[in-house]
Amino acid sequence: MNVVMFYLLSAIILIFSLLSITTRKILRAAVYLLFVLVATSGFYFLLNYEFMAAVQLTLYAGGIVVLIIFSILLTSHISHKFKHPALLNLLMGAGVAVIGAGVALYIIFNEKFTANGQPELPVDMTAIGTQLLSTEKNGYVLPFELISVLLLAAIIAAIVIAKKGKQEEKES
Amino acid sequence: MNSEMLILFFIIALVLVGIAIIFSSLAAPRSTNPIKFDPYECGIPTEGPAWIQFNVGYYLFAIIYLIFDVETVFLFPWAVVMKSIGIRAFVEILIFFFILVLGLLYAWKKKALKWA
Repeated sequence: MNVVMFYLLSAIILIFSLLSITTRKILRAAVYLLFVLVATSGFYFLLNYEFMAAVQLTLYAGGIVVLIIFSILLTSHISHKFKHPALLNLLMGAGVAVIGAGVALYIIFNEKFTANGQPELPVDMTAIGTQLLSTEKNGYVLPFELISVLLLAAIIAAIVIAKKGKQEEKES
Repeated sequence: MNSEMLILFFIIALVLVGIAIIFSSLAAPRSTNPIKFDPYECGIPTEGPAWIQFNVGYYLFAIIYLIFDVETVFLFPWAVVMKSIGIRAFVEILIFFFILVLGLLYAWKKKALKWA
């Protein structure tokens, strides 16, 4: 794993995460989130975990961000700017953040990260694909087909909920 | 992974685009006329902000798009091993598609794809 790339990606993620929570315009926050998600997929590429990187790019950077931006554009107060928070809220938020960071750091520094000596499992696309389509023992072909049923249920549920809301609007 | 080249590529891209933007902002003539901010030379003056609320129907498109996006993710590992596994992988993906096309047909039948 390349150290320079690691620090570059970490810097991108940190900077854009901070920007996305400190910006006062909600659409800009969504775009900064997009940069964070793309940089995260860069980490997966660094780890040679191509499948996860592809999932990250197509689903998170491609799908979820589109959904977030759509839901922002659909709400009425698009150009709404958030007010600066009150001092008491700011202090309370900072306190919670410090406590959270303290707990996380305490756990990280008390844990000895030792490799358990197991060999690395192959995580390339071919291994995943073979496992996913295998009909033998420990194959995942049945879950694979079940996923399509799950997605079908998701499509129908989304349409039913959306259409129901519209009909009620017409009646009222 | 040859990431030094990638970083070099990023730096060159940043420098080239940066030079172009800086140079054009230095060389461009400046005029601060209020009429300059009108959208066109002629026509009706604009009314209200450009940030309008989108049609709610878009949201359904976005959700359906997201679901088929999830489907695409499962096509990546399938496409890699399709040739080595052969006809069995093809049949498996046909079943997968068949169930999902039912969802598309349902969306079509319910006029969820219509421009509302």
